Amino acid sequence: MTRTRRRAWAGRVFVAPNLAALAVFMLFPLGFSLYMSFQRWDLFTPAKFVGLANFRTLFTADPLFLIALRNTVVFTVGTIVPTVLISLVVAALLNRKLMGIGFFRAVIFVPLAVSSVVMAVVWQFVFNVDDGLLNTMLGWIGLGPVPWLVEPGWAMVSLCMVSVWRSVPFATVVLLAAMQGVPETLYEAAKIDGASEWRRFVSITVPLIRGALSFVVIISIINAFQAFDLVYVLTGGNGGPETGTYVLGIMLFQHAFAFLDFGYASALAWVMFAILLVLTVLQLRFARRVSLEN
Amino acid sequence: MSGLTERVIKVNVVRAAALYAALIVVAWCALFPMLWALSGSLKKEAGVSEPTLLPAHPQWSNYGLVFALMPFWRMLLNTMLYAGCVTVGQVFFCSLAGYAFARLPFRGRDTLFLLYLATLMVPLTVTVIPQFILMRTFGWTDTPWAMIIPGLFGTYLMRQFFLTLPTDLEEAAILDGCSPWQVYWRIMLPHTKPAVMVLAVLTWVNVWNDFLWPLVMIQRKDIATLTLGLVWLQGQYVSRWPVLMAASILILLPLLGVYAFAQRAFLRGITVTGFGGR
Repeated sequence: MTRTRRRAWAGRVFVAPNLAALAVFMLFPLGFSLYMSFQRWDLFTPAKFVGLANFRTLFTADPLFLIALRNTVVFTVGTIVPTVLISLVVAALLNRKLMGIGFFRAVIFVPLAVSSVVMAVVWQFVFNVDDGLLNTMLGWIGLGPVPWLVEPGWAMVSLCMVSVWRSVPFATVVLLAAMQGVPETLYEAAKIDGASEWRRFVSITVPLIRGALSFVVIISIINAFQAFDLVYVLTGGNGGPETGTYVLGIMLFQHAFAFLDFGYASALAWVMFAILLVLTVLQLRFARRVSLEN
Repeated sequence: MSGLTERVIKVNVVRAAALYAALIVVAWCALFPMLWALSGSLKKEAGVSEPTLLPAHPQWSNYGLVFALMPFWRMLLNTMLYAGCVTVGQVFFCSLAGYAFARLPFRGRDTLFLLYLATLMVPLTVTVIPQFILMRTFGWTDTPWAMIIPGLFGTYLMRQFFLTLPTDLEEAAILDGCSPWQVYWRIMLPHTKPAVMVLAVLTWVNVWNDFLWPLVMIQRKDIATLTLGLVWLQGQYVSRWPVLMAASILILLPLLGVYAFAQRAFLRGITVTGFGGR
């Protein structure tokens, strides 16, 4: 009996530092953030309670919020749809038992280790309008020059391209791991029944990796919706040109750390959190329904 | 399995060739920005747009220029220090708590664990502002302390791993009179090497690549990280591509080293935690 109690005490002591850190660096900030969203506060003058004014301004009086929201949705969709399609194909390709496949896997996953900041700087070089690699190559086939990061619409296209380039390896890693868990016997049986390769992919692989697909979609939505590093470095920190890449992450950063409007920024953060939560729950519901129907 | 391999390779040569071609295209897409950066880092500023991958006269001096224009070694040292401290802290505290959550039952433990999991779901967007204000209240902004506050995401990973270890391992030690700490430190922890490796590599890469937190916390050059240094360099020397590319390559290299060294652990960690989608 004493041994059990001793172990229980040890358990409490072992989790204590972790929970203390959780309380100080996560739980307290969470509550404080909610409190701040009802205040007007610039850090230097005392905070002033303003009720729902921050939220009201956000939804009714700030045209930039709607622009940022629209840009974020465009960016999220423009990242996730190509990412899922491309990574399904790439994962299927890497799931083959070919000589040297390990080498190809290692190479294709390299971008995972690279920071968004470094990649954004490198891609700026690739996108360079006058003499960048992309426009030079488009010139060879008689196209371009495309105003990649200069014209607002193209800036969003450029941003999505880099984002897809960055998320495909991640999605591929997850999907490949799931594909490797699909029992070989299923494919053998389908082959005997005369199912084509495409048919086997659509009817066996895709349904069986649905869990992983759902995971990839949720994580990608969460990340794309809060995108900051990539946008900040790629298009110069203001969401430009004009408001072409003005996404919610940039808006949040500007209001908090440039305009020092911490109350307003916190309100924005909670709106983003709420949207994310709803999207995640919807996604999980949807995934469950699809799996029930099958 | 080998039967399948033989069939794919021998019977259908054309198809194998097509597959390899596709693989090469994908690999090229993954690598070309980095190769182009490497190539650009060795070109003259005037000829940086020439579409040749191998410059005729490699300008190694561009790398020298990086060290002249930014305190690269200092920032490298800072980044390694921050990444090292956070990694050691994360591995120790998360494995300790993970062990307790897996194997040391006490009242309210599972509720606590649920609370812990729920907190992890809160996005950085919500916590970064209050965390900044907290750091400011502590007087830690623009000091190294702000950079080594602990991450906690590893507790879940470690708990799941401890759950997979056989119980008779510790039962024998308990019968021998080992204290819970001894069981954890001497018996269990040495068995968790694979999970510790995953957690350590993920944490290291995360801290190394982090941008928002140092951007918010740090102003002084002598305590800045490499990502911050690169962004400052880019702001100061716009369009001086050879230098910017040389700096990018220098920041990339250590991570490529980590990746080459611990590729399996890294990829496993990403599959489990969902990191890396950023």
